[in-house]
Amino acid sequence: MDHQLTLGDRLKVRTMIYVASEPIPRFWPMRTFIHHNPLFGLEHLPFEEAVEEANRLFHGRGYLSRSEYQEYWQAGKVDEAALRKYMQAFLEKQGDALPEIPMEHWLWSLMTLCKSEQLVPKTDWLDGHVLHAALHGQATDPDAARQKARLQEILAHKIALDGPVYANVDRLFGTDIGSTLDDLLVKSCLDFFDEGQSAWQSPGRKQGFFAAWKEVAQHNVRFFLRGMHLRQLLESEQTPEGVVAHILRDLRVPEASWQKYITRQLTRLHGWAGFIRYRSTAKHYYWAEQYPADLTDFLAVRMVLGMALLQEVVRHQGCPANAEEIQNFVHADPLSAYLRLELYTGTILPAWAQQVEDMLARRKRPSFDRVGQQYVAAKTRWEGERQVHNLLRLARAMGAEAETQLLAMSPEQLDQFLNILRAWEKGEGFCWLRSMESHYIKSLVNRIHIPHQQEAVEKRPFAQALMCIDVRSEPMRRHLEAIGDYQTFGIGGFFGVPISFLEYGRGTEVHLCPAIQTPKNLVVEIPAELELEEEPLYGALEHVLHELKSSVLSPFVAVEAVGLIFSLGLIGKTVAPLTYHHLHNKLHAEKPVTRLLLDKLSPDQADSILRAVQRAMIVRALIKEWNVPRDQVTDDDVKELREIALEHISGPSALAQRMQFSAQQEAEFIQKLRDTYRVERHESSLQMERLGRIGFSLDEQVRYISQALLLIGMNRNFSRFVLLVGHESETENNPYESALDCGACGGGKGLPNARVFAAMANKPEVRRRLRDKGIVIPDDTWFLPAVHNTTSDAVELFDLDLLPARHLLYLERLRNGLSAATRRSAAERMPTLGGSENLAQDPYAAAAMALRQTHDWSQVRPEWGLTRNVYAIVGRRALTEGLDLESRAFLHSYDYRLDPKGRLLETILASPMVVGEWINLEHYFSVVDTEHYGSGSKVYHNVAGRFAVMTGNQSDLRTGLPTQTVLKDGKPYHEPVRLIVLVEAPVAFAQRSVGNLVKIKALLGGGWVRVILMDPEDEYRAYVLEDGAFHLQERSVTPDSQTILEEIA
Amino acid sequence: MHIIIWIIAGALLPWFPFSWIFNRLLVSAPGAWARALAVLVLPQLGLLLLLKSGAWMSLGQEMPQTLRALALFTAILYAYRAAGTRDVQIWARLMATSGLSLTWLLVGLLPRYWDVQFFVLAWSIPAALMLLWAGILTQRTGGSYLGLTGGFARVMPRLSVLMSLTALAATATPVFPNFFALLQAMASLPISWMPLLLLVLLLWGWTVGRLLQDLLFGIYRGEPVDDLSVGGTWLGGLTLGVFALVGLFWGGIWIIN
Repeated sequence: MDHQLTLGDRLKVRTMIYVASEPIPRFWPMRTFIHHNPLFGLEHLPFEEAVEEANRLFHGRGYLSRSEYQEYWQAGKVDEAALRKYMQAFLEKQGDALPEIPMEHWLWSLMTLCKSEQLVPKTDWLDGHVLHAALHGQATDPDAARQKARLQEILAHKIALDGPVYANVDRLFGTDIGSTLDDLLVKSCLDFFDEGQSAWQSPGRKQGFFAAWKEVAQHNVRFFLRGMHLRQLLESEQTPEGVVAHILRDLRVPEASWQKYITRQLTRLHGWAGFIRYRSTAKHYYWAEQYPADLTDFLAVRMVLGMALLQEVVRHQGCPANAEEIQNFVHADPLSAYLRLELYTGTILPAWAQQVEDMLARRKRPSFDRVGQQYVAAKTRWEGERQVHNLLRLARAMGAEAETQLLAMSPEQLDQFLNILRAWEKGEGFCWLRSMESHYIKSLVNRIHIPHQQEAVEKRPFAQALMCIDVRSEPMRRHLEAIGDYQTFGIGGFFGVPISFLEYGRGTEVHLCPAIQTPKNLVVEIPAELELEEEPLYGALEHVLHELKSSVLSPFVAVEAVGLIFSLGLIGKTVAPLTYHHLHNKLHAEKPVTRLLLDKLSPDQADSILRAVQRAMIVRALIKEWNVPRDQVTDDDVKELREIALEHISGPSALAQRMQFSAQQEAEFIQKLRDTYRVERHESSLQMERLGRIGFSLDEQVRYISQALLLIGMNRNFSRFVLLVGHESETENNPYESALDCGACGGGKGLPNARVFAAMANKPEVRRRLRDKGIVIPDDTWFLPAVHNTTSDAVELFDLDLLPARHLLYLERLRNGLSAATRRSAAERMPTLGGSENLAQDPYAAAAMALRQTHDWSQVRPEWGLTRNVYAIVGRRALTEGLDLESRAFLHSYDYRLDPKGRLLETILASPMVVGEWINLEHYFSVVDTEHYGSGSKVYHNVAGRFAVMTGNQSDLRTGLPTQTVLKDGKPYHEPVRLIVLVEAPVAFAQRSVGNLVKIKALLGGGWVRVILMDPEDEYRAYVLEDGAFHLQERSVTPDSQTILEEIA
Repeated sequence: MHIIIWIIAGALLPWFPFSWIFNRLLVSAPGAWARALAVLVLPQLGLLLLLKSGAWMSLGQEMPQTLRALALFTAILYAYRAAGTRDVQIWARLMATSGLSLTWLLVGLLPRYWDVQFFVLAWSIPAALMLLWAGILTQRTGGSYLGLTGGFARVMPRLSVLMSLTALAATATPVFPNFFALLQAMASLPISWMPLLLLVLLLWGWTVGRLLQDLLFGIYRGEPVDDLSVGGTWLGGLTLGVFALVGLFWGGIWIIN
């Protein structure tokens, strides 16, 4: 049948899959967890519409429940005036629908008094007439024609023609195809996508997902035992898109509905689909290169499994086999279909469930007409009574008049009344959200400092620190500034230098930059010390033990023998994590001192490096393959062998002749050099290309450094030390560890970028060129890389061996300052992480607790990470200096005066702000729906294939944040509001910058972030973007926030 | 005369095919309390009839094979039917029938009246409690059919715990009296009949597993409901506790003797 599919047909199916996958957010592997907006694929829509669409696609909710918002309102975290304003705007849109009813009073009472999630829940039969009858205790008068029409509507909505056939069969026959299909598909995905977790790998993975699965599936006993006949389905088509098209035709899905059908199939397991989507586009991803897969493969596997399960059910239960037959079945006996739907979707009245189930179970089924009519009447009555109960409860809470108003309404008025309530409830969450945001906007505008117009003469600080914009840097910066002569700046944690980093001892590159960028430059880490060939004894032992642990057979034979050894670690980690960690570190070989290959290589240098590497490989091969030691081989011998391997000359080599190896042996050796040791012509050109990516040209270095310094407004008054503080977290037994690392580094650690920046900025040649650009860095200024461990708050300095001797005199003061800030920050944080309140007064104890958090493997919440983020402030530090922002603000330094064209602001908006938006919305949606957008409780998580987590042993990949990250005692710890971005810049200037960035314009216009502009040229008036226009936000006259003046710890 | 007594007794102390009458009687009782009372009283009446008429002892120590087979068949049939239902009320009724039918295995073996009476109560009491819980569930949600709106564990934790414990008590879980009753029934059977009794036990395990699955697990999607009152919980808990303690005491006496 595949031959019937033309190239155009295949492309059409692939295009449909591509389009259908657009709303599914990419999911990065856990090792480089990227905080992303779960609704990223819908960012072209305004926020409110996107939330609604996502609810349809992913079944996730977009707002908190009413009662949760009410708690915030009672706690004073909702702007009541704004809430009333949005309510009035809504009522104005309704016109004079019910002039005699005080709708404002009703809606306000609904919002503030009603505790239930929905006052008017979804119903099948409820309307004004039914409600009127129920209110007055009358029997409803069924109108047969209206009932019939309504029944058709209900069935058309619930058994949609473009809905998956198996899902419709499940709804009508109580079968379990959907969840069985998910289980089988997840199992197949786990087999294929495994990244080394399983001891036994699935065969044939290099062919791609569908091809490999197809081969295995045809011989899968499990499928056979389930009665699934896959062979016929698989033999009918060769390509995955052919299979998809073939099955869609077999299922008689109208071609016009294919797109929707495919979307529903892909969104069912959107975690897996998102991962495969990421993987298929990540060119540098090792596992994707080795074992390719895309969403067409995924969909084809799903469709084949689904079809086989459906065929099995059709054979055994005689249910409809395709979309057309389902529609015929439904139309043939709508009442029976309705009763089935009610029973199998769980919406049936419980008192009727057994009776309907018994009727369906009978071999000779009676007519459903009588029972169906009775059931519809009962359901209608129940819906009416439930609605009356809800409305009367609210009315009684409102006062006696409300009940009278309710009882006085005619059926038509009640119909309108219900419609207004329904419409309000649909948009109520968004009003609460905006009102909460309004509270935070006002709060920020009132607290922010207005910088003095006349700046004092700048004093040279003892040290300057460039820290990530991450919210966790905020307390460190505040404490560091408070304890001494320090000046801090906020910048994206990759320091504006996107790199692809090849760490020493690792085989694959990691992109250290925001996920929206692709780095061009490769930085290679090489050891500065001589590497010993011998593996340390402890390392070798550990290797053996881990091999044993992951082996399939070893549990049967080795538990008694080596189990005790593992138990020692287990006890140590549990009872004394810190001591265990110290001991463990002593036994491990330390990572050697390394340097970064930073400068661009000339073709000669690249060639020379390649030659050196190839020679080293040949020497190693001679020892291993021919057992010829180095002292018996001359450089000329090696060179000759290399030339032969690269096909520049032909053998026999002098070495082979001298050692009396036969021509056959030499040919085999040369082939091995080419295949195993990669000394081969094609490989050489690839390696040359790769070497060409290494490092930065001098121009690039100057450009990156100058841009980064200007971006944060740092073009003068450099101090002796300029710290480049990257950040990382350190936790144990935590699959989400990289979620706590640097978001601006693509979920990686920020140290390599800091080292690269420092190395560039310390170069005399770079400084000379910077001076030409007006950035004068004094000779005694030294850029020093450091890393901030956000779990313990410790700051460690790196590359100290490169530090000029004159700086060593000041090193102790610097370290003292940093460790004091560490302790003060820990004292602030630890009480929020379950520590005693007294720790706030005992910085040493707090720091000890923070350190313990890093090594405690039982700790589900080692740190709060980016939770509670709410603000992003782009401007000078003077706006926020001394202000306690409670670790809730991304702080990006920026001085618009150094940015006449607005290009730097564009850079900030296009990159760090987008990273902040993703982080914020990841947290937002993980709170408002912990199950669909969040990943539920960590307690039930299991690592899947070393790239993600699942709940239990098999589930969709959990893509969001766990409840332990965003909730505390079951309540939101992260207050879910959209990111409020404050920019210090003239309004017209900022608008021009935004106008130049289409994507950012859409984000701001669509309300994905809230924006405040503080115009320094207009007396720092604040303008808030709302409904497409900037509105003046007055500052309240409040006392200035107290500057923190604390004693040096 | 004895045949009529056997038939009436078989309808009250359920025994296939007259167990059908026992079930109809329970269904027709108006309300949960009446059903609970019926499941406590009817088997006792059947037992009384058997003992007072002398029919109980007339069979002597050696039980006829057909009687034994019928008793076990009844237990298996109703346990199997219970595994297929999701309605708590029906479940309790079917499980009571399944358990009570085992009384027939003891015909002629337990000479003391109170011993047999307690054997019967060991099945009746959890069934009566379960019927009460089913009544409360019906009052709260409109029916006692499980699995429609997800598990109740989060929304009605107190009632869910009591129902779970009662379900375990109804299926001869250790420490509850019917566990020791089951041991007595086992002791009364020749070893070749043991697989059938084990089949009964297997079916009970299956049925209670299904019930707990529907009762406890899954995210609740229904209307807001009120849980059982604290007083009611204490009372239910106390009843189950006393029931278990008496079971231990009774089981101890049986083992010592």
